[in-house]
Amino acid sequence: MVQINLPKNSQVIKGKYFKDKTSSKNLRKVNIYRWDPSTGEKPRIDTYEVDMDNCPSKVLDILNKIKNEIDPTIAYRRSCAHGVCGSCAMNIGGKNGLACTTPHSEIDGDIDIYPLPHLKVKRDLIGDLDNLYKQYESIEPWLKSNSKSESKEIFQSKEDRAKLDGAYECIMCACCSTSCPSYWWNGDKYLGPAVLLQAYRWIIDSRDEERQKRLKKVADELKLYRCHTILNCTNACPKGLNPAKAIAEIKKMLATANV
Amino acid sequence: MENKEPLSPHIQIYRWHISSLVSISHRITSIINIISITLICFWASLLLLGESQYIMINSFLSSLIGKFIILVITWSFSFQALSEIRHLIMDLGYGFELKITKISGLLVIFGSIILTVVFYLVGKNFI
Repeated sequence: MVQINLPKNSQVIKGKYFKDKTSSKNLRKVNIYRWDPSTGEKPRIDTYEVDMDNCPSKVLDILNKIKNEIDPTIAYRRSCAHGVCGSCAMNIGGKNGLACTTPHSEIDGDIDIYPLPHLKVKRDLIGDLDNLYKQYESIEPWLKSNSKSESKEIFQSKEDRAKLDGAYECIMCACCSTSCPSYWWNGDKYLGPAVLLQAYRWIIDSRDEERQKRLKKVADELKLYRCHTILNCTNACPKGLNPAKAIAEIKKMLATANV
Repeated sequence: MENKEPLSPHIQIYRWHISSLVSISHRITSIINIISITLICFWASLLLLGESQYIMINSFLSSLIGKFIILVITWSFSFQALSEIRHLIMDLGYGFELKITKISGLLVIFGSIILTVVFYLVGKNFI
């Protein structure tokens, strides 16, 4: 259901202001979404003044700097710090992306950092992605081959392998799915761009033998056809992939093939 | 505990871009179009009641508000038609690269305005 306004307990209030103590001349204001589950308080926006002269280039560096030097209570996910693990996906300056690969110089004015949109917040910048992982499991993202013996290698031509380019690189950071208004309103049923890109990846894999079954499974008014090519997903993908095109390809396959 | 967890902000904070704007406008114009088609049908059936009804509608449509409504309907139909063509091309699997979506979106927006002006001029017998 389309619910434009946030529920009462989710409305954001103004939070604390952390004034700069380094007396640096090169300051930037960073507004960060905070919510502490141990108190009954509403989520708030805390503002930090950060000394940019001693801060490396990425948004994650700012968060690390704040956590190390200004406010150790702030919570966020991060791991690899170079765009491979997908942990630090968040909403930066109104657009989803990985904090570790987004340069803060690309953002004009104050830097606004929110958790990924339309998720239950666990704490601060950490959203609950359980639903997405369940949907990922539902498309059975593993190779299904029945006829060939398991001890033998299944060959794949270079051309067939090339079809997987642009689909296998996905790191499941959820930037695309949580950027999608259709997924916001119907996330319980619509699979969302991330999961559909993976569904596509297995549908076009030449080694997989359950192509028809996979197509049939995904052919559903709500699971697939809630994509209205808003293209927030392709715009957000930090790996430069194109989930919207993958969804269009699935639709095309369903329209042209006998399923 | 579960209900206590707040929902993170979504449409309030997400930045707009060309494609999302065209998408939402497509929805809005389709609603305008449904309403205006109903109005046009209503208007056409009122003609059956004779000249006095015709004069009434005619004077309403030549008033400032009437002209404004006609312009809005013209724009809305132009936008819908162009956006639908964009959708058809996308359904064939083309035009999903970010740059092209931006260009095609801008074409829809400016094309609809140009078409509205053209229709206006045609209606005024300027062209």
